[in-house]
Amino acid sequence: MMKRNGILFTGKKVLLSLAFLSTMSMLQLNAGEQFAMSDADRAMYTEMLENNPAEIYVEEGGEILEEALGGEEALAKFLEVSEKDLPKYIAGFPRYIAKLGNVVGIDQVLQAMQVEQGKKKTKLKSGKMFSMLAYVKSLANDELINIDIEADEHIKASYALGKVTYMTARGGRGLSCNSCHSADIVGQVLRTQPLPDLGEVAVAGTWPAYRMTKSSLRTPQRRFQGCMKNALLKVIPIGSKEMIALEVYVATLAQEKGKKIAIPGLKR
Amino acid sequence: MAEARKSMIKFKPKKFKVGDVIKVDFIVIHPMETGTRKDKKTGKIKPAKYIDSITFSLDGKPFTSMKVWETVSTNPYFSVNMKVLGKGKITVDYTDNTGEKNSKSKKLKPKG
Amino acid sequence: MERRNFIKSICAATAVAAVASPSALLAKDTPKGGNVLTYDAAVAAITGGKVVTDSDKVKLTVPEIAENGAVVPVKVNVESPMTDADHVKAIHILTTKNGNARSADIMLTPMNAKGYFATRIKLAGTQDVVALVELSDGSFLRAAKPVKVTIGGCG
Repeated sequence: MMKRNGILFTGKKVLLSLAFLSTMSMLQLNAGEQFAMSDADRAMYTEMLENNPAEIYVEEGGEILEEALGGEEALAKFLEVSEKDLPKYIAGFPRYIAKLGNVVGIDQVLQAMQVEQGKKKTKLKSGKMFSMLAYVKSLANDELINIDIEADEHIKASYALGKVTYMTARGGRGLSCNSCHSADIVGQVLRTQPLPDLGEVAVAGTWPAYRMTKSSLRTPQRRFQGCMKNALLKVIPIGSKEMIALEVYVATLAQEKGKKIAIPGLKR
Repeated sequence: MAEARKSMIKFKPKKFKVGDVIKVDFIVIHPMETGTRKDKKTGKIKPAKYIDSITFSLDGKPFTSMKVWETVSTNPYFSVNMKVLGKGKITVDYTDNTGEKNSKSKKLKPKG
Repeated sequence: MERRNFIKSICAATAVAAVASPSALLAKDTPKGGNVLTYDAAVAAITGGKVVTDSDKVKLTVPEIAENGAVVPVKVNVESPMTDADHVKAIHILTTKNGNARSADIMLTPMNAKGYFATRIKLAGTQDVVALVELSDGSFLRAAKPVKVTIGGCG
């Protein structure tokens, strides 16, 4: 086993073919209909978006941003964009920010602002930061996801790293993100839930989201961690190079399908 | 010092006239703890803490009241209709089983 | 060794534990007390033994399959003129298998203009959700619908 970029890659390669997966009783081919939501049910769950408890956290995030950092005005100034261009700019994250020397997510930008203002950094993995992140991302609601992976060498490298992270089989079962989310596997039912196409469900556009199973606001990186845990993949740290790269890659999946930002989402 | 509990009142549709019947939605962040769940770390039962009563009032006059039980979802939502008679203030007063009292208000501003 | 791991389960057991909390609402887990009543007792307490009629006038909307038992949307619409003389006095949301059968009791007035209420409730498992409606003339109507609660998913 070797360590590369902090992720353990097993020497063994386990090829997962469709045929092999179908031999397992819990992965049912074409059983999507059994657990696919009826139109009436889908309407009910869509309606729930109108009363999403996460909206309260988004509102709170706006208040914290205003009090602690000076609100959108300060954010736009820090990012060197006009307030008018801020929403579209937000919809292009993660981005390479020259003055930070890295490809970063919105939460890291907020931390950098705190440092610039001589304030204490809010932890990335904290309720306050999740709320602020959700608020700032919601400013881009209705904007098309517009990540430019050719913009500079840094974002190009991040995209490449993200793709590798997504495609590399690792962990106790030799699974990669692609094992369950590739085009030929999606739709099949695993533990009563049809496996989603991450671009089609616009993960990058609908997270942070309210998770019903957790009764709380969850960020995309935390969701990735949850999935990794279940697939027996070593969990990648929040805010790490690989995690941000994964966000970049997953954002392009939604961008390819012309998806928009819609925060906060509502998920199982 | 305890922070005021977070909640939201929404009117649907957002724009309405006198005489319209609107939806009044109330969302609140509250654990709605049943008192039957164990804390995974300590092994102890988490004490029950859930909203048990809600009153919707218009300018201080109640028009809907609710008795709520621990079986309602965490961070719950309650929705009723109301006929708009004019300008006013909607207030939602709510208490939980531990005696915690909270209140949220929103101005009713019909157009025309 | 790899093959056996696959066959066991792709997702670790934690996925089931994540939704275990609603099951703590089953009768065996719920402490009995003055306020906690199972379905039949709750209906008796609310109606005082009066006749309850199943009625089309009570439109109960719940999902056929609840993605998650902790957050199940419930909507009730009762056909009623909502006048002083003829209105919905109360809507009681009940469940048939939760240890505490009661979820919410809503006392409406003519000011509500419609016999409508919506909320989200916890379901300990697959069971019926019931809307028990009291009209201003003292009569009781009912509508009930089954909801299948699935426990699953990864993460």
